[in-house]
Parts: sequence; C-alpha cells; structure tokens
Amino acid sequence: MVAFSSFVGPFVPELLLLGGMLLVLLLDVLGVRRNETLATVALTALALAFLSILGDLGFAPLGVLATVGPGALNVAPAAGAAPLYHLTSFGLIFQAIFLVAALLVVLASSSRPSGERGAPIFYGLLLLATVGMLLVAVASDLIFLLLAVEVVGVPSYLLVAYRRGEARSMEAAMKFFIVGALSTVLSFYGASLLFGAYGSTNLFVIHAAAASVGTPVLVLVGYGFLLAGLAFKVTLVPFHAWAVDVYDGAPTDVTAFLAGGTKKIGLFAFFLVFLGPVLLVHPATAGASPFGGGPLDLGPTLSIALGVIAVLTMTVGNLLALLQKEMKRMLAYSSISQAGYMLIGVTIGTAPALTGATLQILAHVLMKGGAFLVVAGVAGLGIGPLIDDWKGLGVRRPLLGAAFALMLLSLAGVPLTIGFVSKFVLFSSAVQAQGWFIWLAVAGLLNSALSVFYYARVLKVMYFDRTDPIAAIEAPPASGLGAGGLGYGRAAAIGLAAVLIVGIGLYPQPILGAIQSAAQHFLLTGV
Amino acid sequence: MTTLPESGFLLLSGLLLGVGVFGLLTRRNFILVLIALEIAMNATILNFVYFAAFAPHAAGLSGQAIAVVLIGFAATEVAVGLAIVLGLNRLKGTIDVAQGNLLKE
Repeated sequence: MVAFSSFVGPFVPELLLLGGMLLVLLLDVLGVRRNETLATVALTALALAFLSILGDLGFAPLGVLATVGPGALNVAPAAGAAPLYHLTSFGLIFQAIFLVAALLVVLASSSRPSGERGAPIFYGLLLLATVGMLLVAVASDLIFLLLAVEVVGVPSYLLVAYRRGEARSMEAAMKFFIVGALSTVLSFYGASLLFGAYGSTNLFVIHAAAASVGTPVLVLVGYGFLLAGLAFKVTLVPFHAWAVDVYDGAPTDVTAFLAGGTKKIGLFAFFLVFLGPVLLVHPATAGASPFGGGPLDLGPTLSIALGVIAVLTMTVGNLLALLQKEMKRMLAYSSISQAGYMLIGVTIGTAPALTGATLQILAHVLMKGGAFLVVAGVAGLGIGPLIDDWKGLGVRRPLLGAAFALMLLSLAGVPLTIGFVSKFVLFSSAVQAQGWFIWLAVAGLLNSALSVFYYARVLKVMYFDRTDPIAAIEAPPASGLGAGGLGYGRAAAIGLAAVLIVGIGLYPQPILGAIQSAAQHFLLTGV
Repeated sequence: MTTLPESGFLLLSGLLLGVGVFGLLTRRNFILVLIALEIAMNATILNFVYFAAFAPHAAGLSGQAIAVVLIGFAATEVAVGLAIVLGLNRLKGTIDVAQGNLLKE
C-alpha cells in the first residue's frame, strides 16, 4: 500500500488531467457538447492539478493538497541507479508554468459560441497534451522524455486540425505533422546513438559517463541529432520556418497554446539533455558540479553551438518580424526571437542564467499567450488580420487596447513588466559568467532594441493612426457574447495575464527566489 | 565500452534514415510521406535492436523493450497522419503536399 501511494503520489496532477479528459470524452458520447460545460470540466481539472502542484512545492496554505512528501523532492538517486522519473522543485515550477498556459487558453475558450462543433475534441486533446507537458518536467530518461514530448506533439497536430472545415487549418496541420515527424525521427535517432555509446538511455547514467568515458564520435553525432530534433520543437533558427505558417493557420486559441505552452517543453528538454554536458566545462560551476573535471571536448562544442544558435534565432526572428504586415505572423516571428533569449540560459548553465531563462519562459507564456488570445478576441469583433486593421483600437476599446499594449511593452522588455525582469536577470547572468558569454548579453540587448521598432509600430497604429471613418461606422458583429463581444471568459483570461505581467514586474522577489533555489538544486543533479 | 563492429551497421541505419528524411522532405504525395516516416523510424528501431545485442544483459533487455515501444509509437503517429490525410482529401480533393499554398505571404 505504501509502495502504491509513493508511486501514484507524484503523478496526481497528471491523473487529474487524464480523468478530466476521459470525462470530456464521456460527455461527448452522452451527447453533452455545450462549450461551457466542457470548458468547466477542463478548467476544474486544470485548476485542481495546479493547486496540487503548488501544494507539492511547499506553498503553505495548500499543504493539505501535497501528494509528494517534503523529503521526496530534489533527492539525487543512489549512485548507479537509473530512475525513469526524477522529482525536482525545478520540474514542479515548470509544471506550474505549463498549467498556467493551459488554464489561460481554456479560460479564454470557454467564451466561444456554445454550439460550436469540435468542442469535445478541443478540450480532450488539450488536456491530453497538457498531461504530456507535465510528464516532460519529471523525466530523467531519454526515451521517457522523448515519448512525453510526443504525447504533447501528436495531440497538437490534431488540435491544429480540429476545425475540419477550414482549409487553412488543415494545411497548417499537414505542415505541422511533416515537420513534427521529422523532428521526432531525428531526436529518437540521436537517442539511439547515445544508447549505443553508453549502453543506457538514462540521463543520470549518460551524464556520468560523459564525464568519465570521454566523447566518442558516436556521442557527438548523437547529440547533434538530438539538438536538431529538439530545435524544431523550440523553433530555433535554422529549424524555424514551419512555425510561422502553423501559428498563422491554426485556430488562434490553439496558436496561443502552441506558442505559450507546447513550445516550452522543448526548452525544458534542452535543460535535461544538454545542461549536463554543458556543465562539463563551465568554469563557474566546475567546482560545484559533480561533472567537474571531466574531459573537456563535448562541453565547449555544445556550448558554442547553442550560443551561435541562440544569437541567430534572436536576430533572424526579429529581422523577419520587422517585415510582417499581419498581426499573427508578426507575433509568430517575435515568438521565434524570444526562443533565442531562452536558449541563453542553457548555453551559460549557471543558476542565475537558468533562473533568467525560466522567468523568461513564464513571461512568454503570459505575454505571447495573452497576445494571441487578444488576437483571437479581436478577430471575433470582425477586425481583419492585418496590423493596419487595428487602427484606433486603443481608442475605441481602451481596456483591451491597454492590455495588448502592456503585453507588447513587456515583450519589448520595458521596465515595470515581467519581460524587463526576466531579460535583466538573463543578461546580467551572461555578464557575470564572463568570457565570450558577455557577447550573448550584447546580442540580446541589441536585439531587444531592434524589437522595439515593430512593437512600437503596432502601438502607433492602435493609438495614433486616424480611424478610417467607414470602418468606424461599421458596428462589430453581434456575437452575443458579454464583455463587449469578447466573452467574459476571454476577458478574464486577458485581464489575468495583464495583471500578472505587471504584478510580477513590480514585485518579482517571491517568484524569483523560488526559481533561484530550485535552479540551484537542479544544477546539483543536472537532470 | 566494448568495441562494436559498428561502422558497417551504422552505415545501413544511417542510409535508412537518409532515405526516410529525404522522402519526408521531398515527396509530394502525403501517403508516401507517411511511408518515408516509417522508414526513418525503422532506422532508429534497428539501431536499438542492434546495440542491444552487444550491450550487457540488462541494457540489452531495455534496448529491446524500447524497440517494441517505438514500433507502437510509430504506428500511432502514422494513424494521426492518416487522419489528417483523410481530412485534407475530403476538404480539397487532393493529398498533394505541394498544393498547400494558402499560408504564403
């Protein structure tokens, strides 16, 4: 009995979500297909899972809900053990971030028209993908990790295609599937080569062996394949081209989930797979890390490769975003450039860098997830896809305009927002790390300055461009939804994201402290 | 680490992967894309089976188990691909990948 509960305990959030998914499918079979009902089921499951994770993290008022004993977190496995999963407070923080992304999307989707077809598919697949996201955050075995990534990937192809009548969505799903399949094949192939070199797929075993055995060619090639495969998931340059078409063609609520949620699992996979080897070299961590003092050829190679990709990703994403005329495509390119900032954390591999990257990921969930939810809402008001179609929106809909402006300012890294805090922590960690890492901070700052141009252009259109008199006369279509046609759920989700952006921006200490101590624990075991 | 007679074998699996990835990127018929995906996945599965044969007992067993799991997983992915093919075919009457041109600027 004890063994049973200690096995089930860590997976309570996943089980809650699976239960929610089955309930959604059961309701579908029973003929209950109203959007509001299904959204309530999904929201409840997600909220319960979120509270349970907060309890596990030691958030005092929720201690009752903790399902993992306080002594079970951050425990390094015995030497030579090869566990499939490993509970860390760092992983739990990521689970919480993933759940925030899913919660925002479901909350916004709850205000879609109640008769809409495909609602059971949408909520069922979204819950299933979220289960996969939670599993990624506890993985400590390459195959467990890659399969969990696919538990996210396979439902998300179908999420893009869930409106079967729309040619654009179907085409996006087709592209997404082909690219996703390619990424899957490459990363599994890389894992098989590492298995051949080290005789195990366990990350603890692989990291330990990388420190003592050295680096045969097989391992370098294996890591190369893993890097390429996972880079597709995170939309890193040069593996980014698919993202814009898919984000553009998918239903916008799904885009919010892809950009704000599922993309981040690839980054966590980067932490799990590459931090161990990168730590082999780093002067700042060599003393503190159990991998210190190993042969030094794998680490520098990976670190430099990641650094180059990070700078390329930021720059290419920003430059292409400057050229876009459509709001969704502009946000998609800006999403690519943000992935470059997050990658800096893995490249440097110190606790402050990891903290900055984690905060940047949380910030991106709120800013980009929130921004896509606004875009979906605005489309529902009958406003076109071009940036110029947003003329005067900030004047006509002051609250909505203010929330969107806030998200853009946070994306640009303006002070008093979470985007500023995360970039500040990230870039100052690069400066602290010395060496060529300082150039990462320089590249990041230049890119932030560059990105201000296209965010400012949207703000100018929203607030200062004169409204076309004909467009102003046209009344928004009667969607019959509350909150001025947005729907109360969507308004609540956008408001929540905006409040969190400012709240964490003004008072980041509690979250920063929690992430920092979790990152330090994480670096000690490296998985 | 024992020395493996790996060069010849890795050539085979690398070739399979190459054929699969090439097919994934260049085939215009979606069904052929799915077949290419299967070929590429099989390169990985073959690797696991091969390395398992040379690994110590416990690792060998886990390698074979992984191979079985991956066979199942590849089938899942192809099933989802087929669902997308069906949807596309019903909507546009073609499964030609290159016909997709709604998402260009």
